Amino acid sequence: MLPRFPVTQVGSWPRSEGMLDALRARRLGRMNCGEFDAVVDRETARCVAAQERAGVDVVVSGELGRDNFYSFITDKVAGTRLMSLAEMLDTVENKAAFEEMLETLDVPASAIRNPTCTGKLARREPLAVDELQRVRRLTGKPVKITLPGPYLLTRAMWVTDFSQGEAYHDKPDMAADVVKILREELGDLAAQGADFVQFDEPVLTEIVHSGETKRRTFM
Amino acid sequence: MRLGLHVCRGNWSTREDVLISGDYRPLAPCFSSMNVRQFVLEYCTPRAGELEAIGPVLGADRELGLGVVNPRTTTAEEPATIVARAEEALEWWPAERIFLNPDCGFACFANRGVNVEAVAEAKLASMTSAARTLRERHG
Repeated sequence: MLPRFPVTQVGSWPRSEGMLDALRARRLGRMNCGEFDAVVDRETARCVAAQERAGVDVVVSGELGRDNFYSFITDKVAGTRLMSLAEMLDTVENKAAFEEMLETLDVPASAIRNPTCTGKLARREPLAVDELQRVRRLTGKPVKITLPGPYLLTRAMWVTDFSQGEAYHDKPDMAADVVKILREELGDLAAQGADFVQFDEPVLTEIVHSGETKRRTFM
Repeated sequence: MRLGLHVCRGNWSTREDVLISGDYRPLAPCFSSMNVRQFVLEYCTPRAGELEAIGPVLGADRELGLGVVNPRTTTAEEPATIVARAEEALEWWPAERIFLNPDCGFACFANRGVNVEAVAEAKLASMTSAARTLRERHG
């Protein structure tokens, strides 16, 4: 039973140098899964300890093993490829406008990566059950798990040059599988005893507020 | 299992001028149609507008995850400021349906974090201090 005004977080926590090194090494295939998981275990323990010291009521994993809050699904879902925005630049119709948008919005094209759909989407493994189990081993407090929402994922994952083909003829076609994957995940998280699941839809505000400028962020 | 939806205005830069601006009013019909118990909303920046934009719509039967600290600033908010903000929310939400949160994550993008660990922990401590005061007053 939670107290009134429970304190929790939205999800992500700053990565240490050691965690960033491990993420880079893993991405470049220079670190095996076991070694990487050991770093994530150690760093998550530090993140959970910080939350316990501060006295929060619902604990999060800190998303420490994720490249970003939505691109990490490329580690878990078949039919995806992690691509930097710089790699995607070559495929956008108006390259100059896209580059200008990144510049104006203060987005570094090489540092931000996208989970691009490149084929039939299917979970190879659960998206965040590993995070839930890791946090459960570290605390007796309720746990919140964060997942990218269906709108964000659909919009980010569909890059026509890579996504249109045998698996999907258009974006709504792919969206049906995105929703299926998230529903399966929700079922797994419920079965594993997650107390709280939060879907992140950071750009819903953009749809309703970018009307005048027709500005579109990178996500 | 509690189901929540988090909405903000982007968190990829510490520059306020490049992030999205505008209140939640146009999203109210969309929010109220969703089968979601808690809305975890950015509310610490003037860019997010006022609570009255959404309070009359969601206050009756949903939970509010109220954003009370800015993940992008370098000092922790005063607990008194957080208490005052949560008490504003009491106009639409009952005490048992208000959660306290930062506005967003502290590092949504691993190599593009918007804060450091020590500041993040200090911000959590300000929130828990504020929660203790709120429980004394509205327990």
